[in-house]
Amino acid sequence: MRLGMVIDLDRCIGCRSCAVACKAHNAQPPGTWWNRVFTPGSEEHQVAVGSNGHLQMNFLPVSCQMCDNAPCEKVCPAGATYTDERGVVLVDYERCIGCRYCIAACPYGVRQFNWEDPHQAKERVGYQEGYEYGYPADYRDPDGRLVYTPNRPLGVVEKCTFCVQYTSKGELPACVQACPAKARIFGDLDDPDSEVSRLVQERQAFRLKEELGTSPKVFYLPPTKSSR
Amino acid sequence: MKKNSKMVLALASVILVISLIAWGYQIRNGLAVTNMRNPFSWGLYIATFAFFVGIAAGGLIVSSSVYLFNIEKLKPFTKIASLSAFASTLGAGAMILPDMGRVERVFNVFLHPNWRSPLVWDVIVISTYLVLTFLSVYVQLLPDWKRDGRGFLNGWTKSREQEQVDALAKKWSRRISIVGLPVAILIHTVTALIFATQASRSWWNTAVLPPDFVSVAVASGTALVLVISLVAVGKERFDEFQEAFRTLALIVAGALVVHFFLVSVDLLVHWWWGKPEGLEVLSLVFGKYGPVYATEILLPGFTMFYFFSKRGSSSFNSLLGGSVLLFVGVFAHRLMLMFPSFNAIPLSLSLPGLGIENWAYPIATGQLKEGMSVFASSWSYAPSLVEYAVALLPFGLILFVVSYALTLYNFVPQKGGLSSRNLNVPSLNTNDIGTLKL
Repeated sequence: MRLGMVIDLDRCIGCRSCAVACKAHNAQPPGTWWNRVFTPGSEEHQVAVGSNGHLQMNFLPVSCQMCDNAPCEKVCPAGATYTDERGVVLVDYERCIGCRYCIAACPYGVRQFNWEDPHQAKERVGYQEGYEYGYPADYRDPDGRLVYTPNRPLGVVEKCTFCVQYTSKGELPACVQACPAKARIFGDLDDPDSEVSRLVQERQAFRLKEELGTSPKVFYLPPTKSSR
Repeated sequence: MKKNSKMVLALASVILVISLIAWGYQIRNGLAVTNMRNPFSWGLYIATFAFFVGIAAGGLIVSSSVYLFNIEKLKPFTKIASLSAFASTLGAGAMILPDMGRVERVFNVFLHPNWRSPLVWDVIVISTYLVLTFLSVYVQLLPDWKRDGRGFLNGWTKSREQEQVDALAKKWSRRISIVGLPVAILIHTVTALIFATQASRSWWNTAVLPPDFVSVAVASGTALVLVISLVAVGKERFDEFQEAFRTLALIVAGALVVHFFLVSVDLLVHWWWGKPEGLEVLSLVFGKYGPVYATEILLPGFTMFYFFSKRGSSSFNSLLGGSVLLFVGVFAHRLMLMFPSFNAIPLSLSLPGLGIENWAYPIATGQLKEGMSVFASSWSYAPSLVEYAVALLPFGLILFVVSYALTLYNFVPQKGGLSSRNLNVPSLNTNDIGTLKL
């Protein structure tokens, strides 16, 4: 099994619901975003680019690309980052030593460091007292490695897990569930009949920074509505 | 000398205490007390680490060239060279620790090493080098210790004759330098590979980086041996060793020629094809970070010409001054490993038809703070006060180890190569040792 995702840029409306759902379900501390949506070429999100009446506004959601040839995993000195049997790149929060080599290595800027203690960060920025958000329980992989916990330890790296706490039970990742435009499709790339496999084959799917040879498992369907 | 060395030791201790306090503060509050954030995730600490790995080379390169290439002139300084190499390696290793988010878990690198990680290779070669430089200092001190009836971990020499110990020391220092030379070259190669393997960062991703690290290491490492030797020998005895100092200065200048050659080839390759990513890096190097880059080029450039000249390589002050300029330049060089690299965000996109090239996809900084954007397309990093304080750690450690060793034992070349007793004894004072314990 190789879990992968297809994001249809034709359908994406740039609403950032996926980013918000991701943040809430995965209890990301303030300032940390596993999932981002921006308007390529534009200084501000949701502002068109172009000139002379030829304007263009597309949106590009970016989270962990779940590379088959993942530089973050290869550089990790302690094997804290690893690929599980379903092809998902995960971080063991109990093993990470916080060297941040993976942040330097990742071409997609998806890796986030816990510069401050998440508890204290939430308190400091003034979130309502006692307000806890996100999936409340720890999740350990079959080998017992801690790959989800609502408040990550200070000084470790975190990133998108394809919502391992949900997908391990056969549910969909939060971003897929939350997308109002149904722009995200999730499934098994090894199964030729899955919707993701079909879309990758039939549409002109592309991957980010293909030239680096990281072989991501997140595919994008190009936007056709380029001008508005 | 005794009073001076006491003051140096006191200074080293103060520096150490300041850095340890700052590190403690950082451990309590997290790396948020630094000015690094997700877009710029390595800074002063890694630059300082690379700087000290560089100067750690000198030691074994100097002693190896005595044995391998028969540069006999340098023989009086092999002891000092090994000591400076050992101390610098220790400093480099120590500098890595405060950069860790969870320093108490560092043992995971040994429990679960990932053999594909260049960081694991670096841990192995640097530890090996630390052991080798320690052994190198140790065996070279054995004859003196035997003669003076002191030292440590040398009980086994008691049953041996002085001549036997002398011969043993000679044999083993030769052996260690022969093994040490490839390891010295490896520590720079592997440290460079940490960066050079990363195809996501075009500023690092070049096969020229390892040989360039080696050339900078030979230059700055030899300069450190030069400085410590000058200080240890003193102005009064400068003439006695002038030939050796001149040889060291020529090694520095020669290594710099190689360095500048590699740098120009690298810049040319970045510029020639004109890829937007490559040009962006160059505009950072010559634009935003122009002043730092000028420091990196001009100061060592000056040292190179100065050390080739008769005037520059034949007086105490010019050698000292040239070396100091070189250190500043090399430190700027190490900082420039970080600045252009982290400010060129790897995920950049071009939108054909709109004239947009190299648009950087913003990165979440990792902290929500009043007046600061959460998403950033570049990060103007400058170290925080705490970072500067923590980064004093290797400086304090090296100063402490070197000056302590110099007060305890005799590293200074002896007059006419004869007995060391007269030079040595005054510094052996139990009061000295008592005050040193922190």
